[in-house]
Amino acid sequence: MIPYQGLLFFYVTGLLLLPAVVLGLLGKPLKYYGLFFTAAMLVFIFSENGQLLALAAFCIWQALMCKLFFRLKNKSRVKFRVAATLSLIPLVIAKLSGILPGLGFWGLLGISYMTFRAVQVLIDAYDGKLDALPLAELSYFVLFFPSVAAGPIDRYRRFSGDLNRRISREEYAELLRRGIWKLMFGLLSGIVISGLILRIWLEPLPENGIAATVSYMYGYTFYLFFNFAGYSSMAIGTAYILGVKLPENFDMPFLSVDMKDFWSRWHISLSSWLRDYVYTRFVMGALKSRRFKNRRTSSYIGYAVTFAIMGAWHGLTPAYLLYGVYHGILMCINEALDLHWKYFKQMKRGKWARIILTVVTFHLFSFGLLIFSGRMV
Amino acid sequence: MEYKIMQILNEVCGAEDGELKPDLDLFETGLLDSFAVVQLLVEFEERLHVTLDIETLRREDIATPALIVRLLEKMR
Repeated sequence: MIPYQGLLFFYVTGLLLLPAVVLGLLGKPLKYYGLFFTAAMLVFIFSENGQLLALAAFCIWQALMCKLFFRLKNKSRVKFRVAATLSLIPLVIAKLSGILPGLGFWGLLGISYMTFRAVQVLIDAYDGKLDALPLAELSYFVLFFPSVAAGPIDRYRRFSGDLNRRISREEYAELLRRGIWKLMFGLLSGIVISGLILRIWLEPLPENGIAATVSYMYGYTFYLFFNFAGYSSMAIGTAYILGVKLPENFDMPFLSVDMKDFWSRWHISLSSWLRDYVYTRFVMGALKSRRFKNRRTSSYIGYAVTFAIMGAWHGLTPAYLLYGVYHGILMCINEALDLHWKYFKQMKRGKWARIILTVVTFHLFSFGLLIFSGRMV
Repeated sequence: MEYKIMQILNEVCGAEDGELKPDLDLFETGLLDSFAVVQLLVEFEERLHVTLDIETLRREDIATPALIVRLLEKMR
């Protein structure tokens, strides 16, 4: 079963959320019921084709990595790299199995998202930012049901802070109100609107031809936005009802004036993860060790590397890899324009020039999504 | 301390002395971007021995020179 689809899913979720609502409105802690809710929903969702077993094995593996590494007294860089590599292995196998038919299929729903959450715990431990790492909280964080399948990708310390914070009745009532609102908006966007776009726009389009492909590019961009933003909104809404303020994933991406702006508005929890743990660390390392003659070189290479990883994280098919390279190039061009073309900065502040930039940016990312859709390669 | 902070800020933003007014929004004006923020953190660490946590640092905490000075003085 796929989360946030079908009447049965919403019926079961609604029923299982009711005790959380009662507890929250009584001002009681939601952590323990939340854990039970996640366990029950995982059994419900992953019950087919041995997925539950795969999920359990995956979770034990990640918990083992995180706990063992956390307990190490001397967390050297080498040990961190070994732990992070081991943590990434299931994801790499799953991605490889998608392109190598000989391997059989090793897919596990949400593995990309769960892995990034686990790796983030390892990074926090390596940075010495964790005082404690209780197994129950760690597993709850990695498997947190509302966002298990497709994010948003939360951060451990933020998540743990929410779990251990006392929420007053009044505050919970407000969380509940916003949660239900987000669920409703998500239903409208992720199921009704995206479903309509799929039915009346994308499905009737012929498979070939330039006009059809151009139309598909626009249709698919809107479809993916409404579908994914709606899905994220439903996940965030469900999390609010459990007392967890999952981070937002979209912030009006169609208003972006350039690609840097776009990536601060589209799939935010992924782009900020990559910004904090790949781009920033790469640039910081390069600056500290004075690796490049021109300091900005580290930024260009940082963008290329970050977005190549972003593409591969989606999958190892040519379409996803190309999508990553495409965005890496666009970000480098964006960086060069920011640095060397003074008029570009002025344009972003001017009223009419902003409109033009917004339209151009829209077409740039729409074309990226056309690559992503796999219709071209 | 404030002088040193402003010196680093001027260098990173490529600005002249006195050009950066205390309440100037550094992101709105395009003087700071992701790269410049990382550069700023490296300089603060190396020259002032103050380490800021980039993951919990929000843009609104370092949006203006005055806010940056206040934050760093609090950190020390």
